[in-house]
Formats: sequence, structure tokens, C-alpha cells
Amino acid sequence: MMATANSLPDTGVESVRVGAQLLVVLAPLPQEQVESVLTHVAACLAAGDVVIATADALARESHAGLHFVDLPGAAPSWTVAAASFAMASQLAQENKVRGILMLGPEAGSLGEAGIGALVRGVLEGGVDLAMPRYAISPHAGLINSGILYPLTRALFASRVRFPLAIDLGLSARMAERMAAAARPLIQRNQQDALLWPVSEAAVAGYRIEEFDVGPRVLPVPPDPDLNTILPLLAGSLFTDIEARAAFWQRPRALPPARFHAEAQATSEDHTDIAAMLQSFRFAYAHLQEIWSLVLPPNALLGLKRLSLMDEASFRMPESLWARIVYDFLLAYRLRTIHRGHLMGALIPLYLAWVASHINVTREEMMPEQHVEMAAAAFEAEKPYLVARWRWPDRFNP
Amino acid sequence: MQIILTNAVQAAAAPLTEPLSVEDATIWQHMSNALHASMDRVLSLLIAILPGILAFVVALAISTLIGVAVSALMRRVLTAAKFDDRIARTRGSADWTPATAPTSLAARACFWGCVVLGLVVGVSAFDTSFATASPLPISLLPYLAHAVGAAFLLIAGNIIARFLARSVLIGAVNAQLQYARFLSLGVKWLVLVLTAAMVLDHLQVGGVIVELAFGILFGGIVLTLALAVGLGSRDLVSRSLESHAERASEQSAENAPAGGDPIRHF
Repeated sequence: MMATANSLPDTGVESVRVGAQLLVVLAPLPQEQVESVLTHVAACLAAGDVVIATADALARESHAGLHFVDLPGAAPSWTVAAASFAMASQLAQENKVRGILMLGPEAGSLGEAGIGALVRGVLEGGVDLAMPRYAISPHAGLINSGILYPLTRALFASRVRFPLAIDLGLSARMAERMAAAARPLIQRNQQDALLWPVSEAAVAGYRIEEFDVGPRVLPVPPDPDLNTILPLLAGSLFTDIEARAAFWQRPRALPPARFHAEAQATSEDHTDIAAMLQSFRFAYAHLQEIWSLVLPPNALLGLKRLSLMDEASFRMPESLWARIVYDFLLAYRLRTIHRGHLMGALIPLYLAWVASHINVTREEMMPEQHVEMAAAAFEAEKPYLVARWRWPDRFNP
Repeated sequence: MQIILTNAVQAAAAPLTEPLSVEDATIWQHMSNALHASMDRVLSLLIAILPGILAFVVALAISTLIGVAVSALMRRVLTAAKFDDRIARTRGSADWTPATAPTSLAARACFWGCVVLGLVVGVSAFDTSFATASPLPISLLPYLAHAVGAAFLLIAGNIIARFLARSVLIGAVNAQLQYARFLSLGVKWLVLVLTAAMVLDHLQVGGVIVELAFGILFGGIVLTLALAVGLGSRDLVSRSLESHAERASEQSAENAPAGGDPIRHF
């Protein structure tokens, strides 16, 4: 029991301030970024309406008009982890705020308009979960484009483009819900575990909105190697999906699409996909035995066709990619093979999708259009997932 | 039995035209006695262990039947008590595969618990009847126990070999090592050879020969690999390492050729 004690630090009663509107939780940032963020926040709200939670002592001196609380034990993290949610909720309750703005690493690159949109969404728009939509390069966040976004959209009926955003706006009740989801993980000493706010809000029936926040510098994970980051993100989402199967198996209507400024493809995109294709073909020659445990013959046939395509004409059909991800999700659930092996076997297939995505967006359509097509394919193939989830032993050609 | 043997001895002796000497008669008599005693011992052994074997089979059969009954009862009780739903509420998820539902797991645990209990009772009964039967020199029971242990070793070794082979294969393929399959097979066979040596050692088969053979084989494989890397496959390894280094440098540049955006997976 000692080991499972709640490790949340005592934030101190003397820091409590009653009547503030918004709690801003800042990840550890360089001094100039703290300055930038605080300036943007001060431009959105009166000084008396904001409580800033930061571990940075220097910021207090430069912004004496703002009210600060300690954010003890704020370990540097490249994304919003379970411990951050629990801490934010605790601070929100102590300060009796209406909303919480959580800003992740490199938040200094966010503009005033973007921060203002999230703040207004939470405080004035009655939104429980305000998610940012970043304007990033078409070749950035590809795991998000290829796996996280399509899966979240198809299963949780949410159009949030970045389900694992680094900045969030939360209502008080949403923060409490996220903290409740985080507590078991913290008790199991998994403070760094990822939580999925979109699925949490969708299951709770809370209101989710997405706001354009403009460009942002994305933080680099401590181990940016694809062999680490893909299993981490996809595995975490698969676990979350497994836990919420009762919710997503029911059909739900997707909210109408809103207009967003699209990231433009580079006019002359010379991104080399040869290495990715080589990786896929090499894996096709060696991993068939493992893929055949996970994928049905139809998908294996599709992969065979892909392996024979040359670089210029390499296109992975969206429906094939959707089924592959769904088959891996099912194998993850059924533990067909060791989950570490499963995620490792997914990497070459993901690289094949990335290569296909680059080819398609280079010649045929805008990057966002292709990502939306992939997401639509995931929606169309959802009955396949539901059927195999319910009857995994049924014949599957 | 004695009569039969005596008759057999007489029949064998009948074609002899010359009368048997005293010494010959004594030899046949001794042979007869020896055969008689031997068959006596074997029959005694069979008579001694037969009840034990029967007890083992009966105990196992009865415990299996009890296991089936307890399992069915457990399944019915837990279903009536909505055990799965209760667990789901505490776990926060109500989604189970048919094989992992808590009720199913509990029922299976009961069944196999009964079977294992029956096995223990059966082996104990066999042991008792065997020990009290006769002071026969055949050490069947300890060998049986060793055989069970060896079977477990064999199964565990196979599982570990497959797991490690897959780990190495996937890791090597994702690192695009040209000799991925060779590495995977090498790891698999090293573990299998190690397992085989452990199994034979556990069964006390071969004695020092197995240890010696294993040492030579294992050392030989490692030496072969070292020589292959150092001499025979020098070009292959250097090519592979070069291509790996090239890929690493390409990845460090994050596929950012002139005019292209760098690729960032997250």
C-alpha cells in the first residue's frame, strides 16, 4: 500500500485564491517562452481572473500582477501525462476556477489568438474540452494523421484533428474526470502514462470543440525513434479503445465538418520515400510469418501487390490501411502475439502508408484531403471491426 | 509356471540321444530356477504397481469429473451473481473476449485445480503402493518425476526460443539488418540446443557426454559466428553496417532533401 500512495504533492493552502476564472498550468518552459505565454494570457483575461501554476520562480518576479501557485514536481514531459491531469484538477479545486488551460512544452510558439481561442472556448463557450488544431507542416505528425486521428474519428465520432494535443482547455468537471482517470495510473506508479481526453469526454457525453490555434513548434519526445514512439502511441490508444469497447460499438453520428485552413503541400516536394519502401519490402520478405498471424489472407494479398509496385506508382488503398490497423487492434485485444512484437510488426506497414501518403499528396491531392479520405475509410470499415470484435473466431477471408 | 518350465526343459533335452550327466542336469535346473525367479520378480512387480496405476487412473478420472461438475457449478453461480459485470465496474471496462471473461477464467481455474489435485492424489497413491510393494531395484517413480520436469523444461525452452527468435527478427527487420533471419534462426537454435542439453541432463541421460557435446556444440556455434563475422562475412557485415550508417545519417537529416519538408512522425 505504501508504494501505491497518491504521489500528488501538497500545493499549500496559502496559495489558494478564491474567485479566479482560469487556471493556467504551464509545463517547464524556457524563460522567454514563459514570458510570451504570460503576455498572451494577460491579454485575454484580467489579471485577477487568472491563476498561473508553474514551477518557474523567475516568472513571478517579472509578472507581479498575476497570481502564481507552485507546480511542484513538474517533471519535464513532451506531452500531457496522467500526473499533469491529476495535479491540474487538484489545483483547480483548491483555487475554485471555472476552467483550466494546460500548455505543454514549446507553448511559447503559440500565438495570442490561439491561446485566446482556447481560453474563450472554456470560459465563454461552455465547452468541456477545448482542443487545439495546429497548423503544422504536412509531413509532421504523421502517426497522428495515419492512426490516431482516423481511429478516434471513426470510433468516438469526433473530428478533433489532434486527439493527443499538447495544449488543452478543460472545464472543471472535465478536469475532475481526467483526474479520476489518472488516479489509478498514478497509484500503479505510471505517472507518465498517456490519457486520451477526446475519448474520455465522448464517453462522458461532454461537449468537445476544436479551435484553430495556428502554427506551433511540436516538442520532441525523449526518444524520437519510430521504433519507440509508434508502439507507445498506438499501444496506448489501442488500450484506451479496448477499455471503451461498449461505447464505440454503438453507431454514432459524426458532427458536421468545419472549415479549417489547410496546410499547403510544398510546391516541389522531393521527399525521398525510397528508404521507407525499402523498409516495407524488406519486412514483406521477412515478416510474413508474423503478419499472417494477424492479417487475413485478403490483406496479405494487398500487401503482396504493394510490394511489387514501383516507387512512383506506390499507393496503399485507404481501405487496406484501415483494415490493417483494425486487424492489429484486434490482435492487440486478443493477444494473438506478444504486444511488443505486434507493434514492432506494424512499423513497416505504417512506413508503407507514409510513403503512399507522400506520393498521393505530391501528385493527386492536398495532404489534409488525403488524411480525411483515410479517416473516411476507417469509418466505412468500422462494421468490419465491430463484427470481428464481437465474433473474433468467425471465418475471415 | 514351474511345471511349464520343467516340461520345456525336458522337451528341449529330449532330442539328445546321450543321457545327461549330473552336471548337465544341474545346469538346466539352475537355468530353470533363474528363469523362474526372474519371471517371479517381474510378475511381482506388475502385481505391485498395478494397483498403483489403477489408483492413479481412477483418481485422475474422478477428479476430472469433479472438476467438470465444479466448473459448471461455478459458471452457473457466477453468471447468476453477474460476476463479470461487477468486475467490469471496478475495472472500468465491460469488454471481454470469450476466453478472458472472469467467469470463464474462474470456471477454468476450478476445473484445472481439480485435475491437478487428482494428479497429485494419483501420483501419491502410486508412490505409496509402489514403495510398499517390494524392494525392487527398478527406480521408475523418480524417473517419472524427472520426465515430467524435463517435459516442462522442453515446453518452456520452446516458448522462450520462439519469443526470442521473433523479438530478434522484428528488431532486426526494423533496423533493416540484412541478416535478420539468420540472426533470428541463430538465436532460436542456440536456445533450443541449450534446452535440449538441459532436458537430457535433467533426465540423466548421457551424463558427461551430453555436457561435453553441448559445450562443444555451443562453443562451436559461437566460434563459427565469430569467425563468420570476422572473416567470412566481412564484406557482408561491412556492407550492412555501411547501409545502416547511411540510413541513420539519412534519418538524422529526417528525409529533408532540398525542397522537401522534414518528416516527423509525431
